[in-house]
Amino acid sequence: MLRYLRTRQAKLTPILLLSPALLTMLFVVALPLLFSLYTSLTPYRLTRPETIETFIGLRNYMRLFSDPDFWSAFGRTILFLAIALNVEFLLGLGIALLINRITWGQRTLRTIMMFPMMFSPILVGFQFKFIFNDNIGILNNALQSLGITDQAIPWLVDAKLAMFSILFAEIWMSTSVFAILLLAGLFAMPRDPLEAAKVDGCNSWQVFRHITLPFIMPFAFIAMTIRSLDVARAYDIVSVMTGGGPAGRTELLWTLIARTGYENTRMGQANAMAYVSTILSIAFTYFFFTKLVAARRYMGGAE
Amino acid sequence: MSRALKNRLRATALWFATFLLMIVISVPGLWVVLSGFRPNREILAKPPVWIPEKLTLNNFAKIFGFGQDQVAIPVLEYFRNSLVIATTSTLIALIIGMAGGYAFARFRFRFKNTWFLGLMLFRTVPGIALSLPVFMLWSRLGIIDTKLGLIIVYVSLNVPFTIWLIDGFFRQIPGSLSEAAQVDGCTRWQAFWRIEFPLARSGIAAAGVFAFLTSWNEFALASQLTRSTDSKTLPVGLMDFTAQFTIDWAGMSAMAFIIIVPALILTFIVQKHLIAGLTFGGVKG
Amino acid sequence: MSRLTAKALIATALVPLIAAPAAAQDYGNFEGETLRVKLIGGAQYEPLYAEISKWEEMTGATVEILSRKNHFELDREIKQDIAARTLDWCVGSNHTSFAPQYGNIYADLNDLIDAETLAAFVPLVLEHSTVDGRLVQLPRHSDVSNMFYIKSLFEDEENKAAFKAEYGYDLAPPETWSQVSDQAKFFANPPDFYGTQYVGKDEAITGRFYEMLVAEGGQLFTDDWEPAFNSEAGVRAIDWFVDLYNANAVPRGVPNYLWDDTGLGFASGTVALNLDWAGWSAFFNDPENSKVAGDVGLVRAPKGSSGKRTGWSGTHSFSITEACENKEAAASFVTFLTDHDRQMIEARAGLLPTRTAVWDDAKGEFAADGRDFMVEVFDTFSASMSEDAFTPPLIPEWIEVSNELWPRLQAAMLGDMTSQEALDEAARDALVIMEDAGYR
Repeated sequence: MLRYLRTRQAKLTPILLLSPALLTMLFVVALPLLFSLYTSLTPYRLTRPETIETFIGLRNYMRLFSDPDFWSAFGRTILFLAIALNVEFLLGLGIALLINRITWGQRTLRTIMMFPMMFSPILVGFQFKFIFNDNIGILNNALQSLGITDQAIPWLVDAKLAMFSILFAEIWMSTSVFAILLLAGLFAMPRDPLEAAKVDGCNSWQVFRHITLPFIMPFAFIAMTIRSLDVARAYDIVSVMTGGGPAGRTELLWTLIARTGYENTRMGQANAMAYVSTILSIAFTYFFFTKLVAARRYMGGAE
Repeated sequence: MSRALKNRLRATALWFATFLLMIVISVPGLWVVLSGFRPNREILAKPPVWIPEKLTLNNFAKIFGFGQDQVAIPVLEYFRNSLVIATTSTLIALIIGMAGGYAFARFRFRFKNTWFLGLMLFRTVPGIALSLPVFMLWSRLGIIDTKLGLIIVYVSLNVPFTIWLIDGFFRQIPGSLSEAAQVDGCTRWQAFWRIEFPLARSGIAAAGVFAFLTSWNEFALASQLTRSTDSKTLPVGLMDFTAQFTIDWAGMSAMAFIIIVPALILTFIVQKHLIAGLTFGGVKG
Repeated sequence: MSRLTAKALIATALVPLIAAPAAAQDYGNFEGETLRVKLIGGAQYEPLYAEISKWEEMTGATVEILSRKNHFELDREIKQDIAARTLDWCVGSNHTSFAPQYGNIYADLNDLIDAETLAAFVPLVLEHSTVDGRLVQLPRHSDVSNMFYIKSLFEDEENKAAFKAEYGYDLAPPETWSQVSDQAKFFANPPDFYGTQYVGKDEAITGRFYEMLVAEGGQLFTDDWEPAFNSEAGVRAIDWFVDLYNANAVPRGVPNYLWDDTGLGFASGTVALNLDWAGWSAFFNDPENSKVAGDVGLVRAPKGSSGKRTGWSGTHSFSITEACENKEAAASFVTFLTDHDRQMIEARAGLLPTRTAVWDDAKGEFAADGRDFMVEVFDTFSASMSEDAFTPPLIPEWIEVSNELWPRLQAAMLGDMTSQEALDEAARDALVIMEDAGYR
């Protein structure tokens, strides 16, 4: 009897402990998502609340699938995510390796390294809008003063440069997250295999390639997962810097959704887009998460 | 040259190289901070003014309304709101995260991995997709433009990551410690607070910093759910410097300085815990 | 503040008639009432709100400012309120370009404000404030653009001779848009100096295109609301922008420019000609902010090939919600905020008044103070406000149509499409919007 109670209790306790977390998520995320799922099946317009009562089935989704603007924004978003996450990883790794070798004053260096994390995305947007301004921006001024160019480079307008500029801003803001997590990984690394490898005559590249890198990959996947969770923060940056323009060259799903929903007031249509974009971020997160679980197994850590 | 000296020199050179690199990385941010102390005319000038002709506190004076016919920006209210909202939501997220993390680390139950992943995936929904439904729900509940409304949202933003870190951390601590304490007559509750909690402190601190920074800097949802000085936070307050035709970049930079400094100080203080927390929290266990 | 009051006193002494009618106004007694309001924020607009306490004193009512943000954010907030049915406030800032979107949430002021008060406003502006025959907003201050230029460039003898040799006519402040085009190319010396510039995204470029379209003799819609901007006039209008962009006479970044970029660009002294709003006048001539202070010339917006001047105009205003429980108090409040003395406060800062009398009185005051530039500004802008100004079509779909138009305008500028293709494509999508909205 006692044993029965114990197992019962053991079964209930985790549920009890998890319930606050689950309740918050249900309340703040699941419930609103249900609502937006419903509105994505209506011609809902913000300024005409009564339109929410008309049911039009999958019409919004059908429209999406035949809308080239949506698909190019979709593709561009994937490209944006892929480039941003990879570059952030590489840069973060480089920074972490450098700082890891330093023994004195590291706390200060780490704080400087995390400096960009203190910046609100909206601020980063304004900041780079001004830095990249072609006429009076500090970047072109610097390039011209140094004699590197005599042109006013249209950073936010040129097809490739505009994408580069918003990527630069995003990468500037978020590389720190990678760096700090990878640095944590390096700290956790046991010394013995490194010493052993050196004794065996491996050069530093081989040591890095075969010992360090595999060890910190799980940390990299954690960073990727975490970043893919809130990468939509880039919306604030892009909407201030280019607003998706010019001529749709930097249009990402999020800018498109915001314009459709709030400016054009077609909330039904916007929510259909939002659903597709949610599925996209879920796919990204799921992908990194499975990688993480695999890497953990490889290390024999978790489970 | 002796070997020791050579090593010493190399270490110093490396330090300086790294330091310089960090400064270069920070340049766009430092430019913002510096802009807060310069007049607009000098920041966005052509030909450029590289060496500031004068540094001024005018931008700050304007924010606080010391200038003539200049309307003050209620920066103290914003600061208070930001502080209350970020701190409260971080604390609540940590408590919920500790409960959840403990459950994942110490108990076996069915579909554990699925639950865990599900919790993470909730977090992936882009803010822009949530903004209107949350707004509608909040307005039914009458918590639009209240600190409470924003706190609830931020708690849910931070809970998944907090659970993740803390879960990893608890796994790191051998269960035998707590069991031993229970044998000695502690309840599980007491054992948790006396044994496991102190050991997990770093992980909790790391999760706390991340949660705090997220809430402190969040803009997209805050700009939808706040309206007046009752609840507007600092990042939303930045928009006070934009009007239909103008952006007061110098003023905005000054305000940015006010936002950045507290976050930076906090980060510096908890540095030690941060690294340790992330080290053991995420992967091992 | 005291400096301003002193000036006001001098002005009143010089023109004794001004203050009399305003002082006699009775704003009623609303003891114990609380008025909930949402106002547009921003440095330019806020000085007026310092006056609110005077109205509170006179009427005994309290004003609770629920929010104060820039217009685009306020717009979003109001749309959310409509959606969530939380219109629990009385007075909101409004704008002629935004007003049609809000449907019937705002009351018809013809029923709330007496005809005598309304008669003191500029008739054309009241007309612009009317949607579907309902006066949904009381105009606060108007805006329209005219051409600012760097004076010394046009007075320089070498420039004059060189220009004449190249273009065959005298260099003088532009009268037509094709002259602007010539002069812009003449002065341009990228990347250090540009002939002119324009905004390149959002409703801003749609508006600029729209006024050019009108000046070229075209129209946005036919009388049956079918998109008609993909006409020859439309192509001429868009080509003006494309041509200057390709000639490098404008900064390469213009497709990403908004009003702050053009304003700051002109103030940085690197642009010869700049079509811009009245609100910038004082800024351009202020040595603290602008390098061209003291060297700023101003002419009326040039003419297009049809002989019509460009004159895209908008007016900031106040509206009263239908849901408001005390419309009388609200009406008294908005009347106060737009009365003679209040408009004088805004006019002194360079905002364009909507009351006929304030135009003259403000000008008189500037003259008395020796602010010659501001006199010139008010002369020029009053002429264009009364003769050239027109609004975008006052339909709810304006912003949505604009969102179809501006990415295409950019595409034409950047060479992704020809002008005709860009306009055809925008027209096709605009037609869908109009059909969806039930116009056809």
